[in-house]
Amino acid sequence: MLVLTRKLGESIAIDDHIKIVVVQIKGKQVRLGIKAPKETKIHREEVYKAIQEQNTEASQADLSEISKLTDELQKK
Amino acid sequence: MKISTTRFNELEVDKKDIISFKEGLLGFENLKKFFIVDPGDQTLILWLQSVEDGSVAFPIIEPKIFNPDYSVKLLPAEFASLDLENLNTASVYTILTIPQNVTEMSANLKAPVVINNVLKIARQIVLQDSKLEVRHPMYIDLKKYIVNFTSDDSKRTNITPIADPSPEEIMSPSIKTVPANKPMNKEL
Repeated sequence: MLVLTRKLGESIAIDDHIKIVVVQIKGKQVRLGIKAPKETKIHREEVYKAIQEQNTEASQADLSEISKLTDELQKK
Repeated sequence: MKISTTRFNELEVDKKDIISFKEGLLGFENLKKFFIVDPGDQTLILWLQSVEDGSVAFPIIEPKIFNPDYSVKLLPAEFASLDLENLNTASVYTILTIPQNVTEMSANLKAPVVINNVLKIARQIVLQDSKLEVRHPMYIDLKKYIVNFTSDDSKRTNITPIADPSPEEIMSPSIKTVPANKPMNKEL
Protein backbone atom coordinates (compact mmCIF):
# COMPACT_ATOMS: atom_id res chain seq x y z
CA MET A 1 0.00 0.00 0.00
CA LEU A 2 1.23 3.46 -0.87
CA VAL A 3 1.23 5.74 2.19
CA LEU A 4 1.35 9.53 1.79
CA THR A 5 1.40 12.27 4.40
CA ARG A 6 -0.83 15.28 3.70
CA LYS A 7 -1.63 18.49 5.55
CA LEU A 8 -4.98 20.22 5.82
CA GLY A 9 -6.01 21.55 2.43
CA GLU A 10 -3.56 19.39 0.52
CA SER A 11 -4.72 16.76 -1.89
CA ILE A 12 -3.92 13.59 -3.75
CA ALA A 13 -4.58 13.01 -7.42
CA ILE A 14 -5.48 9.54 -8.69
CA ASP A 15 -5.32 9.10 -12.45
CA ASP A 16 -6.22 12.28 -14.25
CA HIS A 17 -9.73 12.73 -12.95
CA ILE A 18 -9.85 11.84 -9.26
CA LYS A 19 -8.80 14.24 -6.53
CA ILE A 20 -8.97 13.65 -2.78
CA VAL A 21 -8.65 16.69 -0.51
CA VAL A 22 -8.15 16.79 3.26
CA VAL A 23 -10.94 19.19 4.16
CA GLN A 24 -10.86 19.08 7.95
CA ILE A 25 -8.92 17.42 10.75
CA LYS A 26 -10.66 17.21 14.10
CA GLY A 27 -9.18 14.98 16.79
CA LYS A 28 -9.37 11.42 15.43
CA GLN A 29 -11.59 12.38 12.51
CA VAL A 30 -10.53 13.39 9.05
CA ARG A 31 -12.97 14.86 6.55
CA LEU A 32 -12.12 14.11 2.98
CA GLY A 33 -13.46 15.76 -0.13
CA ILE A 34 -13.55 13.66 -3.27
CA LYS A 35 -13.73 15.02 -6.78
CA ALA A 36 -14.36 12.29 -9.32
CA PRO A 37 -16.21 11.72 -12.59
CA LYS A 38 -19.92 10.94 -12.20
CA GLU A 39 -19.49 7.27 -13.07
CA THR A 40 -16.99 6.63 -10.28
CA LYS A 41 -18.48 4.65 -7.44
CA ILE A 42 -17.61 5.91 -4.01
CA HIS A 43 -18.82 4.19 -0.87
CA ARG A 44 -17.77 4.03 2.74
CA GLU A 45 -16.19 0.61 3.20
CA GLU A 46 -18.82 -0.28 5.83
CA VAL A 47 -21.42 -0.41 3.04
CA TYR A 48 -19.58 -3.30 1.39
CA LYS A 49 -19.10 -5.03 4.74
CA ALA A 50 -22.80 -4.67 5.55
CA ILE A 51 -23.73 -6.16 2.18
CA GLN A 52 -21.32 -9.06 2.65
CA GLU A 53 -22.86 -9.79 6.02
CA GLN A 54 -26.37 -9.49 4.65
CA ASN A 55 -25.53 -11.89 1.82
CA THR A 56 -24.01 -14.39 4.24
CA GLU A 57 -27.03 -14.26 6.52
CA ALA A 58 -29.44 -14.44 3.58
CA SER A 59 -27.76 -17.59 2.25
CA GLN A 60 -28.45 -19.37 5.53
CA ALA A 61 -32.24 -19.25 5.16
CA ASP A 62 -33.85 -22.58 4.46
CA LEU A 63 -37.29 -23.82 3.57
CA SER A 64 -38.45 -24.08 7.21
CA GLU A 65 -38.29 -20.28 7.45
CA ILE A 66 -40.24 -20.02 4.23
CA SER A 67 -43.00 -22.28 5.49
CA LYS A 68 -43.11 -20.29 8.74
CA LEU A 69 -43.34 -17.14 6.65
CA THR A 70 -46.09 -18.63 4.49
CA ASP A 71 -48.18 -19.34 7.61
CA GLU A 72 -47.49 -15.92 9.08
CA LEU A 73 -48.32 -14.07 5.86
CA GLN A 74 -51.65 -15.83 5.52
CA LYS A 75 -52.89 -14.93 9.01
CA LYS A 76 -55.53 -12.25 8.74
CA MET B 1 -27.80 -30.77 -16.55
CA LYS B 2 -28.47 -32.18 -13.10
CA ILE B 3 -27.56 -30.12 -10.04
CA SER B 4 -27.86 -31.39 -6.50
CA THR B 5 -28.89 -28.83 -3.91
CA THR B 6 -29.42 -29.06 -0.18
CA ARG B 7 -32.81 -27.31 -0.22
CA PHE B 8 -34.43 -28.68 -3.38
CA ASN B 9 -32.59 -32.01 -3.78
CA GLU B 10 -31.65 -32.75 -7.37
CA LEU B 11 -32.79 -30.27 -10.00
CA GLU B 12 -32.69 -30.53 -13.76
CA VAL B 13 -31.52 -27.23 -15.22
CA ASP B 14 -31.34 -26.19 -18.83
CA LYS B 15 -27.89 -24.79 -19.63
CA LYS B 16 -29.45 -21.70 -21.17
CA ASP B 17 -31.06 -20.82 -17.83
CA ILE B 18 -27.75 -20.54 -16.02
CA ILE B 19 -26.82 -16.99 -15.09
CA SER B 20 -23.19 -15.87 -14.92
CA PHE B 21 -22.00 -13.53 -12.19
CA LYS B 22 -18.55 -12.52 -13.36
CA GLU B 23 -17.65 -11.06 -9.96
CA GLY B 24 -19.76 -13.40 -7.85
CA LEU B 25 -21.77 -11.81 -5.05
CA LEU B 26 -20.22 -9.78 -2.23
CA GLY B 27 -18.80 -12.30 0.24
CA PHE B 28 -19.28 -15.10 -2.33
CA GLU B 29 -16.81 -14.00 -4.99
CA ASN B 30 -15.85 -17.59 -5.87
CA LEU B 31 -19.36 -18.59 -6.97
CA LYS B 32 -20.04 -17.48 -10.53
CA LYS B 33 -22.94 -19.55 -11.78
CA PHE B 34 -26.49 -19.45 -10.51
CA PHE B 35 -30.02 -20.22 -11.61
CA ILE B 36 -33.42 -19.19 -10.32
CA VAL B 37 -35.66 -21.69 -8.54
CA ASP B 38 -39.37 -20.96 -8.19
CA PRO B 39 -40.73 -23.22 -5.44
CA GLY B 40 -44.23 -21.95 -6.29
CA ASP B 41 -45.25 -21.10 -2.75
CA GLN B 42 -47.55 -18.26 -1.63
CA THR B 43 -44.71 -15.98 -0.55
CA LEU B 44 -43.64 -15.02 -4.11
CA ILE B 45 -40.07 -15.62 -2.97
CA LEU B 46 -37.69 -17.18 -5.46
CA TRP B 47 -34.21 -18.60 -4.86
CA LEU B 48 -30.94 -17.74 -6.50
CA GLN B 49 -29.31 -21.14 -6.35
CA SER B 50 -25.58 -21.66 -6.83
CA VAL B 51 -24.53 -24.22 -9.44
CA GLU B 52 -21.08 -24.69 -7.92
CA ASP B 53 -22.14 -25.06 -4.29
CA GLY B 54 -25.46 -26.82 -3.75
CA SER B 55 -25.74 -25.49 -0.20
CA VAL B 56 -25.68 -21.83 -1.25
CA ALA B 57 -28.96 -20.20 -2.26
CA PHE B 58 -30.29 -16.72 -1.67
CA PRO B 59 -33.99 -15.98 -1.19
CA ILE B 60 -34.87 -13.19 -3.64
CA ILE B 61 -37.96 -11.25 -4.59
CA GLU B 62 -38.95 -8.59 -7.10
CA PRO B 63 -38.84 -5.37 -5.08
CA LYS B 64 -41.83 -3.90 -6.95
CA ILE B 65 -44.03 -6.41 -5.12
CA PHE B 66 -43.57 -4.78 -1.73
CA ASN B 67 -42.23 -1.38 -2.82
CA PRO B 68 -43.87 -0.15 -6.05
CA ASP B 69 -41.85 3.10 -5.96
CA TYR B 70 -38.47 1.37 -5.93
CA SER B 71 -36.41 2.26 -8.95
CA VAL B 72 -32.90 1.25 -9.84
CA LYS B 73 -30.68 3.97 -11.26
CA LEU B 74 -27.59 2.53 -12.88
CA LEU B 75 -24.53 4.45 -14.00
CA PRO B 76 -23.47 4.22 -17.66
CA ALA B 77 -20.53 2.00 -16.68
CA GLU B 78 -22.89 -0.37 -14.87
CA PHE B 79 -25.21 -0.63 -17.87
CA ALA B 80 -22.14 -1.30 -20.00
CA SER B 81 -20.85 -4.01 -17.65
CA LEU B 82 -24.12 -5.89 -18.15
CA ASP B 83 -24.26 -5.13 -21.86
CA LEU B 84 -27.56 -3.34 -21.32
CA GLU B 85 -28.87 -0.10 -22.78
CA ASN B 86 -31.81 0.12 -20.41
CA LEU B 87 -33.66 -2.10 -17.95
CA ASN B 88 -36.32 -3.29 -20.43
CA THR B 89 -34.60 -6.62 -20.96
CA ALA B 90 -33.37 -6.92 -17.39
CA SER B 91 -34.74 -8.38 -14.17
CA VAL B 92 -34.15 -6.77 -10.82
CA TYR B 93 -34.29 -8.75 -7.58
CA THR B 94 -33.45 -7.94 -3.98
CA ILE B 95 -31.87 -10.46 -1.65
CA LEU B 96 -33.88 -11.20 1.47
CA THR B 97 -32.67 -11.92 4.97
CA ILE B 98 -35.19 -14.11 6.77
CA PRO B 99 -34.32 -14.60 10.44
CA GLN B 100 -35.97 -17.07 12.86
CA ASN B 101 -38.51 -14.39 13.69
CA VAL B 102 -39.80 -14.09 10.15
CA THR B 103 -41.61 -10.80 10.79
CA GLU B 104 -38.17 -9.20 11.05
CA MET B 105 -37.33 -10.11 7.48
CA SER B 106 -35.56 -7.47 5.41
CA ALA B 107 -34.59 -6.76 1.83
CA ASN B 108 -31.32 -5.39 0.53
CA LEU B 109 -32.49 -2.40 -1.50
CA LYS B 110 -28.99 -0.93 -1.55
CA ALA B 111 -27.48 -3.73 -3.63
CA PRO B 112 -29.99 -5.39 -5.95
CA VAL B 113 -29.19 -8.21 -8.32
CA VAL B 114 -29.60 -7.06 -11.93
CA ILE B 115 -29.83 -9.73 -14.61
CA ASN B 116 -29.52 -9.26 -18.36
CA ASN B 117 -32.28 -11.67 -19.42
CA VAL B 118 -30.98 -12.04 -22.96
CA LEU B 119 -27.31 -12.71 -22.27
CA LYS B 120 -27.88 -14.29 -18.82
CA ILE B 121 -25.20 -12.21 -17.18
CA ALA B 122 -25.75 -10.55 -13.84
CA ARG B 123 -24.20 -8.44 -11.11
CA GLN B 124 -25.04 -7.41 -7.60
CA ILE B 125 -24.83 -3.64 -7.96
CA VAL B 126 -24.24 -1.31 -5.03
CA LEU B 127 -26.39 1.73 -5.78
CA GLN B 128 -25.12 5.21 -5.01
CA ASP B 129 -28.41 6.44 -3.45
CA SER B 130 -27.53 6.83 0.23
CA LYS B 131 -31.16 6.58 1.36
CA LEU B 132 -31.42 2.94 0.35
CA GLU B 133 -30.97 0.42 3.13
CA VAL B 134 -29.06 -2.85 3.17
CA ARG B 135 -31.67 -4.20 5.60
CA HIS B 136 -34.95 -2.61 4.67
CA PRO B 137 -37.76 -4.07 6.81
CA MET B 138 -40.57 -5.09 4.49
CA TYR B 139 -42.61 -7.83 6.17
CA ILE B 140 -45.69 -5.61 6.60
CA ASP B 141 -45.61 -4.42 2.99
CA LEU B 142 -45.24 -7.96 1.69
CA LYS B 143 -48.10 -9.11 3.90
CA LYS B 144 -50.32 -6.27 2.65
CA TYR B 145 -49.64 -7.30 -0.91
CA ILE B 146 -50.30 -10.97 -0.27
CA VAL B 147 -53.47 -10.38 1.77
CA ASN B 148 -54.90 -8.14 -0.98
CA PHE B 149 -53.91 -10.71 -3.53
CA THR B 150 -55.67 -13.59 -1.76
CA SER B 151 -58.74 -11.60 -0.71
CA ASP B 152 -59.20 -10.52 -4.34
CA ASP B 153 -59.12 -14.16 -5.31
CA SER B 154 -61.71 -15.15 -2.72
CA LYS B 155 -64.03 -12.33 -3.81
CA ARG B 156 -63.83 -13.58 -7.35
CA THR B 157 -64.56 -17.21 -6.52
CA ASN B 158 -67.37 -16.50 -4.07
CA ILE B 159 -69.12 -13.77 -5.96
CA THR B 160 -72.27 -15.65 -7.02
CA PRO B 161 -73.22 -17.70 -3.94
CA ILE B 162 -72.42 -15.22 -1.17
CA ALA B 163 -72.53 -11.75 -2.68
CA ASP B 164 -76.35 -11.52 -2.90
CA PRO B 165 -77.59 -12.56 0.55
CA SER B 166 -74.71 -11.51 2.78
CA PRO B 167 -74.47 -7.76 2.08
CA GLU B 168 -78.18 -7.33 2.84
CA GLU B 169 -78.09 -9.41 5.99
CA ILE B 170 -75.07 -7.67 7.37
CA MET B 171 -75.69 -4.21 6.03
CA SER B 172 -79.40 -3.78 6.64
CA PRO B 173 -79.40 -4.05 10.46
CA SER B 174 -76.53 -1.62 10.74
CA ILE B 175 -78.09 0.78 8.29
CA LYS B 176 -81.32 0.61 10.23
CA THR B 177 -79.84 1.17 13.64
CA VAL B 178 -77.56 4.05 12.73
CA PRO B 179 -80.01 6.37 10.97
CA ALA B 180 -82.78 5.49 13.41
CA ASN B 181 -80.85 6.77 16.41
CA LYS B 182 -79.02 9.66 14.82
CA PRO B 183 -81.96 11.73 13.58
CA MET B 184 -83.66 11.31 16.92
CA ASN B 185 -80.66 12.69 18.80
CA LYS B 186 -80.32 15.54 16.37
CA GLU B 187 -83.96 16.47 16.73
CA LEU B 188 -83.69 16.45 20.50
